[in-house]
Amino acid sequence: MRRWNFSWDKGVGIFLIVAVMIGTLLSDNFANASNLSFVLRDVTEFAIIALAMTFLIISGEIDLSVASALNLSSASLGFLYRAGVPFELAIIGGLLVGLACGLFNGYLVTKLGLPSLAVTIATLALYRGLSYVLLGNQPVNELPEFWISIGYGRILGTFLPWSTILLVVLAAIAWFVLHHTRYGRWTFAIGVNAEAARFSGIPVERTKLMLFAMTGLMAGVAGVVYTLRFASASPDGAVGYELSIIAAVLFGGVSIAGGVGTMWGVIAAVLSLGVIRSALQLTGFTANSLLIVSGALLLISVIAPKITEALRKRPSALGKDNTKKTIREVGNEKPTH
Amino acid sequence: MKNRLIKSGLRTFALSAVVALGIAGCASTETVTEEPAESTETSEAAESYRIAIMPKAINIGYFAAWDEGAQKACAELGATCDYIGPNEATGPAQVQFINQVIQEGYDALVISAADQNAIVPALQEAAAAGITIVTSDADVAAESADARLVTILPSAADRIGTAEVDWIAEEVGEEGCVAILSASATAANQNVWIAAMGPYLEETYPNMSWCGGDLESATFYGDDDATKSVEQFNAILSQYPDVAGIIAPTTVGVLAAAQEKKAKGATVAVTGLGLPSEMAPYIEDGTITKVGLWNPIDLGYVAVYAAVLSMQGEFDGSVGSTFTAGDASYEVVEGGIAYLGDPFTFTIDNIATFKEIY
Amino acid sequence: MKTFKRLVTARELPVFIALVAVVLLAGIANPSFLSASGATDILLGVAIVAILAVGQTFVIVMRHIDLSVGSLIGFTSFLIGDIYAQGYGLMAGLGAALAVGLVVGAVNGFLVAYLQLPSLVVTLGALYIVRGVFNDYAFGRTITAAMVPPEIAWIGLNRLGSIPYLFIIGLSLAIVSGIVMRRVKAARDLYAIGSNPAAAELAGIPVARRVFGAFLFNGALTGLAGAVMLGRFNAANANSGLALELIVIAACVVGGVTIAGGSGTVWGAFLGAILLQAITRTIGALGIPQFWQQAFNGALIIIAIAFDKYLNSRVKTTTIMGSKDA
Repeated sequence: MRRWNFSWDKGVGIFLIVAVMIGTLLSDNFANASNLSFVLRDVTEFAIIALAMTFLIISGEIDLSVASALNLSSASLGFLYRAGVPFELAIIGGLLVGLACGLFNGYLVTKLGLPSLAVTIATLALYRGLSYVLLGNQPVNELPEFWISIGYGRILGTFLPWSTILLVVLAAIAWFVLHHTRYGRWTFAIGVNAEAARFSGIPVERTKLMLFAMTGLMAGVAGVVYTLRFASASPDGAVGYELSIIAAVLFGGVSIAGGVGTMWGVIAAVLSLGVIRSALQLTGFTANSLLIVSGALLLISVIAPKITEALRKRPSALGKDNTKKTIREVGNEKPTH
Repeated sequence: MKNRLIKSGLRTFALSAVVALGIAGCASTETVTEEPAESTETSEAAESYRIAIMPKAINIGYFAAWDEGAQKACAELGATCDYIGPNEATGPAQVQFINQVIQEGYDALVISAADQNAIVPALQEAAAAGITIVTSDADVAAESADARLVTILPSAADRIGTAEVDWIAEEVGEEGCVAILSASATAANQNVWIAAMGPYLEETYPNMSWCGGDLESATFYGDDDATKSVEQFNAILSQYPDVAGIIAPTTVGVLAAAQEKKAKGATVAVTGLGLPSEMAPYIEDGTITKVGLWNPIDLGYVAVYAAVLSMQGEFDGSVGSTFTAGDASYEVVEGGIAYLGDPFTFTIDNIATFKEIY
Repeated sequence: MKTFKRLVTARELPVFIALVAVVLLAGIANPSFLSASGATDILLGVAIVAILAVGQTFVIVMRHIDLSVGSLIGFTSFLIGDIYAQGYGLMAGLGAALAVGLVVGAVNGFLVAYLQLPSLVVTLGALYIVRGVFNDYAFGRTITAAMVPPEIAWIGLNRLGSIPYLFIIGLSLAIVSGIVMRRVKAARDLYAIGSNPAAAELAGIPVARRVFGAFLFNGALTGLAGAVMLGRFNAANANSGLALELIVIAACVVGGVTIAGGSGTVWGAFLGAILLQAITRTIGALGIPQFWQQAFNGALIIIAIAFDKYLNSRVKTTTIMGSKDA
C-alpha cells in the first residue's frame, strides 16, 4: 500500500525522457542514431567514475582527485607502451596505477584521518604532477590501430560504441552492489552515522578504504577508455572533470551529507546532462549557455526536493531516500553541510 | 526480497527500453555518411557552402581576430560560416564540437587544433563523412597529417623561432643568457619554435647562452594562464638573477612578462609573440621594444579560401600545388603546409596603427 | 609569560613554523630568495589568494564552503575594467563589482541559510552559473592594460618600501577580520554554529541570519577583490579566476581552518596562503626540474595538511568553540 513517493531520482528519470523529447523537437539532427552514439561516447568516462563516486559520497566522503587519477592512468599506459611494454599489459599497468591512486587517497583519509575534501585537492595536484613526470612534454600518440578502433568505433552494424558495453556492465554491477548487497547497506549506514555504524559492527575504515580504492580503479578504467578514444596519452588531459562528475552525482539525487542516493538516479543524471548538452549545442547555444544550464540544474536538483518536501510537511528524516534496506535511526538528524 | 530485486530490475529495464525505443523510433534510418557525400559531388555554387570555423576556444581575443578573417573570406566567396567551438582549449572539448559539425552536415571545417592528437579520430570520422578539413594556426601531429587536407601556418616554424632569437639578441647587445617563457609543456607550436631556437642561438650568437646551460633548463611553462605565467616569470628571475633576456613565444606569456617587468621595475629585456592591441601600452611606455606576430586575420582568411577552392575542385592540397586567396598566392610544401610569410614586428613606430586592427 | 604561552599554543603556530622552515630551506638553496625582491615576489603573488582565504574562513568555520569565488572574482575584475573603459569611471566599476558580489553572496546565503540546502551543491551551481554569465558577457574580449583604471594600476604596481600595496590591503583585511572574529559577538557565533549547529540554535544564536551574513560578506569581499586581481595582472579575460577556489580552500585548510568547522582563524588562513605560495617558490628555487614541480607541490601540501592536523591534535582547545579566546 505504498504511496508512490516522489523522490528526486525518479525525477531525474523523468527529466531524462523530457530532455530527449525536447531535444528531438528543437533540432532535426538530435534524435538519430549517430548523435546518440556521440552522446554515449562523450558521457562514458564521466559515467564510469560517477558510479564509484556515488558510493563515496553516500558514505560521506568525496574525491576531487579523480580527473588527475584518470589522467595518470592514461599517462602510465602511454609511458609503458612507449617503453616497449605490450599494449595489453600496459592497459593493466594503467588500471593498477588508478587503483594505487585510490588506495593512497583512502590511506590518507582513513589511516591519517585527514579530511577528504582537503586532501584530495592536494592529491589532485600530486597525480597531475606525476603525469608530467612520466611524459614530460611528449604526448604518446602512436597506439595500436586495433585498440583505437575499439575506443572510438562502434559495434559492427550498430550505432553503439564499444565503450558502452563496458559502461552497461559496470553500471549493472554498481547498481547491484549498492542496492542489493551488504556492502551497499554498509555504505549507506556509514553515510548516515559513522559512529553508529561502527558500533553495529560495520568495519568503517576498511569499507571507506575500499570505496576510495574502487574510485581510483574506476578512474583507471576511465583513463584507459579516454586514451583509446583520443588515440593519445598526454600529461594535460581531463582537466577539470572532477567537478562535472560530482555535479552529475549530486544532480542524480545523492545527498552531499551522505546516506542518501540511488545508482540509477546517477546514471539517469549523467545521461541527462549529456543529452542536454547535445540538444543545446545542436540548437545553436554556445558552450557558455551550457555552463549556466548545468549550474541551474544543479540548484534545481536540491531546491525541488525541498519544496516538495515542504509541501507534504513530512519530517525530513524519512523524506526522499531509498527506504528499502538502510539502517536508519529516525530522528538522527545529520547537520546539513 | 527476490521479488523486489526483480521488480526494481524490471523497472530499470523498462525505463531504459522506453528511452531507447523512443530514440530509435524517431531516428532517421539513413546514416550520416550518405548526405554530405552527395553534396560535394555535384558542382554547386559557393552560395551553398556551409563552413564551420572552430577556434581552440571561443572566448580568446586572438581567435576573434582569426574569425574576422574567416568571415571576410566567406563574405567574398558567398559561403555561410559559423563560428563554433568550446569554452576551454582542450582536445576532448573540441571533439564534442567536431561531432556537432558532423551531425549538422557542414561542408567544410576550418579548425585550429587545441590538441594535436586527441582530435585526430574525430577528424578522421568527419573526413569519412565527406567534410573538407583545413587546419589553420595550429595543426595536428605530423604523423596524422593525412587527417586534413592542408594546414595554413604563419611562417616556417624555424623562421618564427629564429626571428625571436634575433629580436632578443638585438636588445641585449648580443650577450648574456636568455630564458624562455612558453605556453603549456605540450603545446606543439611552441615546442617546434623552441626547438629551432636552441641551435640557432648557439651558432649565431657565440656570446649568448641559454640560462642554466641548456635549452631545457632555460624553458619555463606558463600554460597560457596569466597567474602561472607571472609566477614563472618571477621564477626565472629568482633562479637566474643575471638573465639578460626572456623570449615569450605566446601572447599570454609575453603580456604577463611585460606586466610583471613593469611592476617590478626589472631590467631584463622581454620580447616574443604579442597581440598589438594588448602590447601597445607596454611598447608605448618603453617596457617592451619590439614584439612580433603574424596577422591572425590572414590565417583565417586564407584557410577559408583553401577549403572552398578545394571543394570547387580547383585545389587539391598536394605538395607543390598553389592557390590564390585575395591578392596573394600560396604554395603547399612538404607535409601539406602552406605558409603565410615572415612574422611581422611591432615597435613604437607602427604600433599606433596596428593596435586598432587586432 | 601569559602572552608567550598563548603564542606557543596558538593554533597558527604549526603553519608559522612550516612557513619559516620552507623559507629557510629556499634561502639555503638559493640566497637571492631571501632578498627583499624575493620577499616582494611572494607577497605580491599571495595577495589575491590571501584575501579570498580570509573571506572563505568565515564560511568554512561554520561547516560550509563557497566554491563560487573563482568565477566571481574573475567576473568582477573584468567588469571593473570594462566599465571604466566604457567611460563610467572607477567608482562605477567598483560599485558594480560590489553589487555583483552582494547579489551572488545573497543568493548563496539565502539558499544555504534559509532553504537549508547544502553549501557545496549551491556554490558549485553558482560557480557554473557565474562562469557562464561571465563568459557570455566577456565573449572573446580582453581587458588590456590601457583599460585599467589608473588608480588601480598604480596600487598594483607600487610598494611601501618592499611591501606591495596589494599585500598591505590583504594584511589590513586580515587584521580587521581577526579583530572582528574575536571581539564581535556575531562573528564569534560562527564558531559555535560550526562546532554544533543544534546547540547553537538552542543557545539562542540566530543561525540562519549568521550563515546568510557570512555568505553575503564573502560575496561582497570577493567582488571587491576583483579590483585587486585587476591591479595585479593589469589584464582580465574570460579565463580569469579559473580554478582559484580550490587553491583558496587548500590555503585555509593548510592554515588550520578545518573543513569540519568550528575552528581556525583568519590569521591561519592568511598564513596558509603565504605558505602555499612559499612552497611553490621554494620548489622553483631548489632547482627541481620543471616537470617534477607540480608533483612536489601536491606532495608538500599533503604534508602540510597532515602536519597541521598532527600538531593541532596535541594543542589543547580551551573553549568549546576552539577559537583563540582563552
